[in-house]
Formats: sequence, C-alpha cells, structure tokens
Amino acid sequence: MSKGALLIARNNDTIDYVKQAVFLANRIKKYLDIPVSIITDSVNYLKDEFPEDTFDEIIKIEYKDDINKKAYYDGSLYHKKLNFKNNYRVEAFDLTPYDETLLLDTDFIISNDLLKNCFSSPNDLMMYKKSEDLAKVRNEKEFDHISDYSIAFYWATVVFFRKTPLNKIYFDLIKHIQENWQHYYSVYQLKSTLFRNDFAFSIAAHIMNGFEQQYDFVNELPGKHLYTTDRDILHKLDGNNFIFLVEKKNYLGEYTLISVKDQNVHVMNKFSLNRIIDEVGYE
Amino acid sequence: MSRGIVVLAQNNEKVDYVQQACLLALSLKANNPNENISIITDDSVPAKYVKLFDKILPILWDDDAKDSEWKIENRWKIYHSSPYEKTIVLDTDILILQDISSWWDFLENYEMFFTSNVFTYRGDKVTNDYYRKVFTENNLPNLYAGFHYFEKGEFSYKFYKCLEYVVQNWQKFYETMLIDTMRPKWCSIDVCSALTTVILDCEDKITNKVSSFPNFVHMKPKIQNWEQPKTYWQDCVDVYLNGKGHIKIGNFKQSSILHYTEDDFVKPYMLDTYLGLVK
Repeated sequence: MSKGALLIARNNDTIDYVKQAVFLANRIKKYLDIPVSIITDSVNYLKDEFPEDTFDEIIKIEYKDDINKKAYYDGSLYHKKLNFKNNYRVEAFDLTPYDETLLLDTDFIISNDLLKNCFSSPNDLMMYKKSEDLAKVRNEKEFDHISDYSIAFYWATVVFFRKTPLNKIYFDLIKHIQENWQHYYSVYQLKSTLFRNDFAFSIAAHIMNGFEQQYDFVNELPGKHLYTTDRDILHKLDGNNFIFLVEKKNYLGEYTLISVKDQNVHVMNKFSLNRIIDEVGYE
Repeated sequence: MSRGIVVLAQNNEKVDYVQQACLLALSLKANNPNENISIITDDSVPAKYVKLFDKILPILWDDDAKDSEWKIENRWKIYHSSPYEKTIVLDTDILILQDISSWWDFLENYEMFFTSNVFTYRGDKVTNDYYRKVFTENNLPNLYAGFHYFEKGEFSYKFYKCLEYVVQNWQKFYETMLIDTMRPKWCSIDVCSALTTVILDCEDKITNKVSSFPNFVHMKPKIQNWEQPKTYWQDCVDVYLNGKGHIKIGNFKQSSILHYTEDDFVKPYMLDTYLGLVK
C-alpha cells in the first residue's frame, strides 16, 4: 500500500501557503520519512521559487478567488481580513495519490515521529479531538464542541485516512455539507456562517456515528493536538525548539514567553510562521 | 412472575401529569409492545389512551398530597398499589425510546434498584451537582427515584415502610439528618429515598455506582455541560420527532430513556405520532 503526506496550499494576497508547505514537507520527510504531495493552484510559483524535488507529486487545481473572508491575526494587536481559501480539503480523498494519506494543514509544524504510528494503526480514519492550548489562559472549552449546544469538535488540521469505501462515503458527506453549508451551520447552531473544515468534518463524523456520541467512526490520532492561536506569536524556531509569545489574559498586547521542545504544534499565526520560515530557511 | 411499569400521576392546576403518563405509555408500547404498564391516578384517563394501561388504579387511602404542588407525598404508596411482583417505577415526564428487555435481566440481581448515574442529551455522564448540592454536602447516596425498581419481598417492604415514615415526617428528618444550609424547603422523593437508604444502611444493596446501566438522560439545563445554559433547555436546543417515533434533541438521537423534565415538552403531535405507531 502506498503511503504519504498530502498538503494543500492556496495563497491569498498576503499569506504564502506554498512557502509553508515547502517548509513542512521537508520536516515531514525528516521526521516521518514519507513522501509528500501537494495540491495547489500556484504550480508555476512553486516550480519557479522552490526546489523541484520537494514534492513527490504536484496536483494542480484551478485558481479561484473564493469569497470566504476572515480576520487573520498577527498577535493580539494586528489583524487583516483575507480570503480563507479552505474549500479544497474535502477533495483530498479523490486527489491523493496514496492509499494511506496523512493530510496536514501547512501550519501544523512536525517536530517528532509520533504520526508515523498512523500507518501501522488498524484505524482507517483518525483525527484529533483532544487538544491543548499552549497559552493556558484561554477557554479551551471552545474546542470541546463546535458550539455550546452542539456536537463534538474534531480538528481537521491533521487527518489520517485510508482509501476505503466507508471513508469515501465520509468525504462525500463532507462535500454535501459544504455544498449545503447554510443549512448545516443553522441546524448545528454555529455562531458564524464562515465555512470551516473543522466544523464540516465534525458534522460528517457525527452523522456517520448515527447522530450519537458514543460511537467512534473517527478515532483519535496519536498524541494530542497542541496549538497556539493567531493572537500568539511564533518568536523563534531552532530545530525542534519553539519559542512563542503567548497572549496574557486581560492584558491586551502583552505576552508571556514560553518554550516547547520536540512537539508537533499547530501555529495558527501565519504571519509569524512565515517570518520564521524566512529566518530559518526551508531545511 | 408478573412484571411491569407503574407510574403515579396526579394532575395539579398547571400540569396534566396524566397526559404525560399517556405519552410515556405510548413510547413504551411503541418500543416494547408486550410490556405492561399501570397508572395510579384519581384523575380521569382520556378514553383513547385507556387501552394502553394494563390497570388503572386509584390512589390508596387518603390523598396525602392535597395541598402539595408536586404530589410527592403519595409516592410511597406505589409499592402497595403495584399489581406486579416486579415493578419499575418511573416519573411521568419520561419517554422510553428503547427495548427494555435487557433491563429486567439486569434487575434480576436486585430486590430494589435505584439509578445513580444519569447522562446528558449528548451522552456524557452527569458529574455536575448543580441540582444535587444537598446530596453532595450531606454525603447522601446519589439516587434518582425517577427510575427505580423493586421486587415485592421482605427487604423492599421494609424499605417502603421506612420511606413512608420519612415522607410523612420529612421536615423532621431533614432537620435531623441534613445540614441546615442544605435542606430543601419541600418534600423531595429523591432526598427521602436517600435518607431511607442511609437509615437502613443499604446503599450497596440498592444501587450500583459503577454500572452505567440502567440510566436515563436527564434534561435539567444546568447539567448539560453548557457554558451558557438558559432557564429552560427547550430554549437552547430543539426537539425533532419523526414518524417512526425517533427523537432528536439538538443534533443528538435519543435512544434510551429520556427524562424531559419540562412540562410543556408534551405536544399534541407527539401523542398523535406515537398513537399512530401503537395502533
């Protein structure tokens, strides 16, 4: 069975996701020792600006300027409204060149080999449910459910899946949810109309579980989903050693310095991630 | 041995508990056509629902709950009224949404059994004691009389006799056995049952803290693990009932026992839907 990682990179007018993908691909190869493919609408840019052998396969998709705006923060004092081009994730099942795929967001920074265990797991579909905010001052309950009265939250940041008929149904269901988002965000009592893959993947998982919580159509990935939000700043990255400035509670614009070593971390502040990549390079 | 469910329903000025009992009986019959259910009531049961009940029984002796809104004071009489050797007692504001035959198998192990674990509509075990401070602070067994079982026998008779005495003298028992800051101002059958259990020192004999079965979904709003609960849970999540009698609360299918707790939950279309299924 073929196995590999799959990244999706669609730049908007400010954030260079392709750069992030190249950076992450090198870390995946280093720590997980698997090939990496990319789905992108910026093939020419990728080929012109980055080493050609970074990716196993480059899967070209049509360039589209989706209208799905959201505020991107760079720490707690600055934000910019940008296009959130997140609607190709659901195509991963059909587009992946692998039988066993580890689908990752480009801002999920791999620093150990924990996720290698997915490929030897008997579970055909795995995502993170358990998560931990490195800042430790925010309300983490936000990520227990997709809204206060609604269903369990699954992170679509990292998804391991095998190409099974059941997973095909799951991804088709996500596609249906995406196409009928107005209905689903209302029925699932979401606070915002913004389409989010986390929500769509969670809703589909809930439906696959027969609308009950005690079943486990989706299994948990190894470890825990550690994250910093875009109100925090990735200050430094030295190999596997992250230094973050995480926001202080009730002190807008003030931060606490924390250090994290050898952990995979979801770095949601894309501005600071790109600055760090520029600083440390792609290797 | 005969077995069945017994429910006590006494209407007050605001609430039609008999109607709730009829919906309970309909939900039982829709999922368990061969199970028996009897109702104890002094109110009239609408003709179209009479056939649901194995027996319609009067409240024994005098009405001890004449002046009470919740009509708790007659609950101890259920033991004496039940026509069955093995009885499951349910509150009226409950729906049975599953096959309950396995319950009886489990309950074979007990002469009396009280549920001590309840769940949220999402399926999480309730750990929040918002409505149960009196139990926590007084270290009482966490019993829910809304679902309990007895087999007629020496021990269960003794338990119910003791319960009768506690219910009839509830203020005195509260004063003696509960710390003064944690005394309910009304007669609670859950508290009285817990006090009876303490008096008879029989907790291990009548409940099982480890087993999550039998249980029910308890819809009191402050124990649903919501960050922003409202006064009424029906203001937070909707109720969906389909033609097969399947109920969803919010986005969660309910497939066990639903203790809906809010009196305006019962709607005519629910009665009609289940009536259609039972016919």
